[in-house]
Amino acid sequence: MKRFMRVLVFGLVASLLMASAALADTIKIGLQAPLTGKYASEGLDMKNLVEILAAKINADGGVNGKQIEIIAEDDAFDPKTAALAAQRLITSDVVGVIGTYGSSITEAAQDIYDEEDVIQIATGSTMVRLTEKGLANFFRTCPRDDSQGAAAAQVLKDRGYKRIAILHDNSSYAKGLADETRKLLDEKSVVFFDALNPGEQDYNTILTKIKGFNPDVIFYTGYFNEAGLLLRQKKEMKWDVAMMGGDATNNLDLVKIAGNDAAKGFFFVSPPGVNDLTSPFAKDILDKYKAEFNALPASIWSVFAGDAFLALVEAIRQTDSTDPEVLSDYLRNKMENYPGLTGTIAFDKKGDRSGKFYRLSEVNANGEFVMLP
Amino acid sequence: MEEFFQQLTNGLAVGGIYALIALGYTMVYGVLKLINFAHGDLFTIGAFLGLTLLTSLGLTDSVGPVAGLLVLAVMVVILVGVVGFLLERVAYRPLRTSPRLSAVVSALGASIFFQNAIMLIWGARPLVYPHGLLPNITVDVFGVELPLIRIIMFAISVVLMCGLYYLTHKTRIGTAIRAAAIDQGAAKLMGIDVNRVISLVFMIGPALGGAAGVMVGLYYGQINFTMGWLYGLKAFTAAILGGIGNIPGAMLGGLILGVVESLGAAYISIAWKDAISFLVLILILIVRPTGLLGERVADKV
Repeated sequence: MKRFMRVLVFGLVASLLMASAALADTIKIGLQAPLTGKYASEGLDMKNLVEILAAKINADGGVNGKQIEIIAEDDAFDPKTAALAAQRLITSDVVGVIGTYGSSITEAAQDIYDEEDVIQIATGSTMVRLTEKGLANFFRTCPRDDSQGAAAAQVLKDRGYKRIAILHDNSSYAKGLADETRKLLDEKSVVFFDALNPGEQDYNTILTKIKGFNPDVIFYTGYFNEAGLLLRQKKEMKWDVAMMGGDATNNLDLVKIAGNDAAKGFFFVSPPGVNDLTSPFAKDILDKYKAEFNALPASIWSVFAGDAFLALVEAIRQTDSTDPEVLSDYLRNKMENYPGLTGTIAFDKKGDRSGKFYRLSEVNANGEFVMLP
Repeated sequence: MEEFFQQLTNGLAVGGIYALIALGYTMVYGVLKLINFAHGDLFTIGAFLGLTLLTSLGLTDSVGPVAGLLVLAVMVVILVGVVGFLLERVAYRPLRTSPRLSAVVSALGASIFFQNAIMLIWGARPLVYPHGLLPNITVDVFGVELPLIRIIMFAISVVLMCGLYYLTHKTRIGTAIRAAAIDQGAAKLMGIDVNRVISLVFMIGPALGGAAGVMVGLYYGQINFTMGWLYGLKAFTAAILGGIGNIPGAMLGGLILGVVESLGAAYISIAWKDAISFLVLILILIVRPTGLLGERVADKV
């Protein structure tokens, strides 16, 4: 047994050495993703998409004359495994790492990358705290949990609403969004702020109460089920005030519950879905993906991995360098409106994504969701 | 002031439904001294059966909307009554002489069973009754906008409750039910078939719950498999508030709870709505431990 172990270890070390020697003239980019476990489907989507993009770039002659090599490591959606994956990626000399999906998993790995000066661009981790630590090499292409509030407040301001009623359902998500939005609005314009009880069916009491404050829009931050009932009962009251929702209302069951007439004109802010990515570039890549894997990526989160990869490659291309300090400076200060898959990519001083990303959709007369330009 | 009346009617509309469901709790408790925790799920079954019958039989197209909905309600009431009958046979009758706790556990088990059965049969996503079944007519009563449907629903609730009161207080069957509630042993000696009485109670209570389920489905449109829990909890509270085991008490309790909820939400805070209702319940129970209309039960010596 002992002898067998020795052979095994020797074999592993030898193969690693050979692998790194043979591929010294490539640019190595790491991918940390949940390739096994509960969210394996997301992780595999991430890997597939990044590999398609890498193959495309390599076929076009690579980056600054060098081929790109993707080194994927599994974090199994588990913090302990993630720390090991991070160690393995660092020792295989990657320029930067794409990933990962879960916030707590990213948190377990981000310090390890930072200490070794490896760029990390997270793709699905929306927890606010991750970019508040001031890590020099950490970025993310997904929005953070409080960015939806900024998008919602912007829409309310753009549409010129003066008397806004904000209603949430006391869930941590919906309350967070409501608080975040209220913070960014003029204090005088929020005329009503309260919560309903999710799971009930009669919201007439609440609507009657809100009506007394005479708002010109209701922003409901909770889920589609209650939003549908609110729309329906609002119409029965013959009260035609505008109503807006957050991304938890992005579900066609809302129209089923409310009925086409009542849902018409309802609008909501939400990240685009995979089917909403209509730019020619995104279409081309997604068609390739579909041709190879017989399905589109299941969620938008894996598409963010593609954007992270594109941003890192663009930084390497523009700076002609693999020095993390140079790359980090480029991503943070020089990258502007780079066209990615989910929209334009740029990063703010903290490393959060700053390009236009949240989109506004509206329900039309046929009960369909139409994305507004 | 107008807003106050509007909220009052909102509260009465919800209260009517609570009251209808509360009757089932109160009747079963009166006869068996058992809280039927599965009652809220029987209400849900009523809502789902109503939707299935409505969409599969096309009732409203063949005999017109009013008659169609009446036929639908009668069918659902009968079916849910049968489910209630079976529930008593399977889950409660074998435990009738066991310690009280066994029956309570059995009731909770039945509730979990029903909820999951509904989810497996009809799915976990919310289902929706067809739109436009009921005309959206509003009546203006002293400046208060009242949807006609709400008035009709409330009227139906009141009629059903009065019918039940008549049944229990003015008929032979009702006398038997009340006799069994007071003393099962003595009732048996007087020639009352207590088992049949209990079966009957377990058909009437759930049937009223099922009727409430169809009304909720028709009016609110959206039904989901977990809705029985919240309605059940509220109706149970209403039954306690009015005095458990007392039929007029359940009606009164339901209406009071609905009104307290809507006025509490309107004038104090929406988020605290349920807390306010339960606070009222606690206060009333401190003053009157048996509930509003509950009689003091003398201990048998």
